[in-house]
Amino acid sequence: MEKATVFNIQRFSIYDGPGIRTSVFLKGCNLRCLWCHNPESISPQRQLGFYPEKCIGCGNCFRACPEGAHIAAPDGHTIDRTKCVSCGKCANDCFAEALTMLGEETTSEEVVRAVLTDRGYYERSGGGVTFTGGECMLKPDFIRECAALLSAEGISVAVDTAGNVPFESFEKVLPYADLFLYDVKAADPDLHRRLTGVGNERILENLKRLASLGKRLIVRYPFIPPYNDGEAEAIASLLAPLPVELVEIMPYHHLGEGKYRPLGMENRAAEARVPSDDALEAAVTAFAHRGIPARRT
Amino acid sequence: MNEERVVLSALYADRIASLHESKIAMNDVKRRLNRVHDSDDWGFVVFEDFHYEPPKFRESGELYGGLEIAKALRKWLHDMPPYVHKDSALGGAWVDIIQNHLRIGLRPEDDVSPEIRACWAKYNTSPGFMGMNHCGPDMQIGLDLGWGGLLAKIRHYRAKLSPADTSFYDMEEETVLGIQTYVENVAAEAERMAGLETDENAKKNLLEIAAMNRYLVSAPPRTMREACQFLAHFQSVDRTYFSGGALSQLDELLRPYYEKDVRAGILSDEEAVWYLASLFFNDTHYSQIAGLIPDGSRDMTSRLSFLILDALHYLHIPINVALRVSDKVNPTLLRRSLEYTLEDGSGVDYSCNVGVEEGYARNGYPIELGRLRAKVGCNWVALPGIEYPLQDVTRCNMAMAFQEALKDMQETKNFDLEYLFERTCHHIRIIVDSIKAGYDKHYEAVGKYRPELVLNLFMHGPIERGLNASQGVDIVDFNIDGIALATVADSFGALEQRIVREKRMSFEEFFEIMNRNYEGREDVRLMMANIKRFGSPDSPSEKWALRLRDFYVKTCKESGTPKHNLPIIPGMFSHGDIYIHGRKLKATPNGRRDYEPISHSNEPDPGFARGIDTFSPTLKSNAVALAAPGYGNSAPLHLDIDTEMLEKAGGIDALAALIHTHNHMGGTLINLNCLSRKVLLEAHADPSTHPDLVVRVTGYSAFFSSLTREYRQQVVDRFLSRENR
Repeated sequence: MEKATVFNIQRFSIYDGPGIRTSVFLKGCNLRCLWCHNPESISPQRQLGFYPEKCIGCGNCFRACPEGAHIAAPDGHTIDRTKCVSCGKCANDCFAEALTMLGEETTSEEVVRAVLTDRGYYERSGGGVTFTGGECMLKPDFIRECAALLSAEGISVAVDTAGNVPFESFEKVLPYADLFLYDVKAADPDLHRRLTGVGNERILENLKRLASLGKRLIVRYPFIPPYNDGEAEAIASLLAPLPVELVEIMPYHHLGEGKYRPLGMENRAAEARVPSDDALEAAVTAFAHRGIPARRT
Repeated sequence: MNEERVVLSALYADRIASLHESKIAMNDVKRRLNRVHDSDDWGFVVFEDFHYEPPKFRESGELYGGLEIAKALRKWLHDMPPYVHKDSALGGAWVDIIQNHLRIGLRPEDDVSPEIRACWAKYNTSPGFMGMNHCGPDMQIGLDLGWGGLLAKIRHYRAKLSPADTSFYDMEEETVLGIQTYVENVAAEAERMAGLETDENAKKNLLEIAAMNRYLVSAPPRTMREACQFLAHFQSVDRTYFSGGALSQLDELLRPYYEKDVRAGILSDEEAVWYLASLFFNDTHYSQIAGLIPDGSRDMTSRLSFLILDALHYLHIPINVALRVSDKVNPTLLRRSLEYTLEDGSGVDYSCNVGVEEGYARNGYPIELGRLRAKVGCNWVALPGIEYPLQDVTRCNMAMAFQEALKDMQETKNFDLEYLFERTCHHIRIIVDSIKAGYDKHYEAVGKYRPELVLNLFMHGPIERGLNASQGVDIVDFNIDGIALATVADSFGALEQRIVREKRMSFEEFFEIMNRNYEGREDVRLMMANIKRFGSPDSPSEKWALRLRDFYVKTCKESGTPKHNLPIIPGMFSHGDIYIHGRKLKATPNGRRDYEPISHSNEPDPGFARGIDTFSPTLKSNAVALAAPGYGNSAPLHLDIDTEMLEKAGGIDALAALIHTHNHMGGTLINLNCLSRKVLLEAHADPSTHPDLVVRVTGYSAFFSSLTREYRQQVVDRFLSRENR
């Protein structure tokens, strides 16, 4: 049975595909988008999150840690991330939940059992289950097992991906996935590399191949001024020949910013800002001019 | 069927806006005078100079028997100042609950035993003894007969049965005569105001109100406006006499009048909306729209159902209308109701046919009867006119039973969770049995001390049989509401996880800390609080919640009341009184400190989700449906959702699917608020910043500004935002 590290099972999700869905978030990503709003999804490993505002100073973590990673500093409790091996012993004894482990190793059967509790909502809303991340397609065998079990139950499966994986990975899930939510972050390869750490050649090639197979495709364009808000025309031009069902323009929001510090990570998107309504409408129009249905989320 | 929204012309838009503004102003007065306490608006009008002197029957000033109370009520209805609003289609309003001005005695032989009273005190039980008003009237009786016809009916049956003691009929006669005086006074007030009015439209309206009320003193209503006026007077008198608040299937009641008036060319839709808004301005009585006809073959939604939603939306004050959901509910009506809730923050609540109707049938009643059970109370349902269910007046506080069980465990040093569960059940049974014993006494005595003077008129049986509704209707099935399910289940779950399984400390060590209210041991308190609580998938608490629910239901159902063998139907509803019921409860093993609030009804506590499962409305919905008692009485689901979460296209469809799914899982009632986090927090910090913010507290809606800080806090705690998604 396949396993994956899941960091969130979000029910009543109405942002990741049609209807009421359950979004299953997998850890691990091979892009490094500057603006990433789920930094806990980047590492494939379980991670220790530290929320000092919840700390009550009980000292349990100092006693529990076999690595001596917890340090009492003059300005408060800190963690030496070079020593931390993410064993979770401190979090297990931190009842204030100032320390929590992000991610649980989960089997495909466990995930399927968890998401089936909401079957009624899927059936009455045309919803289903969306696998996302991170880059969930880094675990294609896990997705395939989950999706096969769900398909057998008549549950719709969507895959939310940035597409930077070998197409063989897609082939594993194609028989069971009804819909792909496919990120396109920039049309220009160099810009894409600067923003995400990788070029977009394989991503766009995979997108074309998926489109040629007749799969339902919703393209998602994260709209992040000042990084890629000028890409609307070029992305629209790329997508124009493809049978894309919809383009969702996803404006930057601040909700991810608070997630970096607890992980000991640096937020590199200091310049990112929430786009104006006018800018978003202009982007919608750019797609509409090419006959591509688009909406802002 | 026309399903369009009504677009109001300036005249009616202005009139309804005027009613809205007047209600806001009245609420300010009520707040200033401290006349609002965590309840809905109720529609009463403050007359600061009004003074009432009740009739005196004996030196003590106490009143005994329905006839004395009826005479006091008749005098009240004569004395109370009549109220007419020049922009309303209807006259009348009530000014206070007469109960506040009477001293009603209770003879010792009709009281419960001191032992029962001591038991209620020990477990902080709300026993329902001498509770009243909690049955649903069949308003069709009154609409068919009018006040004059009701008077004739009383006199007819008094003559026909010729009982040795005629006081039952005499008190009902006094009541109707008092109401007729009140209606005459309203007519006179409208005439007086018309004489002073310079605006021609307003003058015309006031004269119409006057003429309508003169006619309705004795004759039954002929038009929709007259029918609404009759219902408004019922509401006012029903409130005056001990704060009753139930109407019934409002769309079906008014549909024949509406259709007849439209056919006759004397009624437009915007006038109908104005009449309905005027009825809602008059009072917040509970009513229902939509729902299946008895054979289940179709939904009752009509044009009237849509007009009621429009009136509710345009008036935008606390209003208590429920929409009965079934698979056959008109999808446009459901959708419209959700659109209005998103625009206004709150709107109708959703009564669920599977839990209410099919659940009721599990008691042995035909499902066709279950379908008639309308949502006519804050959280409760009743068969209009034929059932005496007395819902929402009892509270079996399971946490108080658990507290006694904890004492037993510590005294015996039997530190076994099965023993603790057995003792909890033992004490729950004592509470349930004490309520059942009280109900026997209630059944025998309530008609003598607190007769349903007003509701008897609108029930099938009391007048025909000469008996108070408690004995005179066909179906008597007493409700008992269990509360604090999650408080107890999470306490068991925490003990199981932390003490038994993880062996963090011994029971004795833990109890020593808990008994000191966790003083100086916040780490231990959080250790017990921060477990996977009831509502989280696969939580240990869920298993305990279901065991507790099963025992509670079995105890309620396995026998009727001890003397009269009257059947019991269990529910789980705490109203908003989670603070009141926590005030006598010491610290509990779920990390709850001394005297903090208990959990709500059978709902999970806020913040219950843990680990990779984050909060979602469906998790809460699943838990509430899973742990429902299952016999037709309510265990409501409260959803308070950030409007931003639903702004995406498809948000309304998702809510509709959520409602239908909760219904199919056996849910009974959904109380929904869709609010902006910013507005809610501003209003919580300073209620005066949003005087017209209306929220659904539990089954009732209220101005947020009229709630105490504790009540506001529970709405805020329930609130779901993007941040906790």
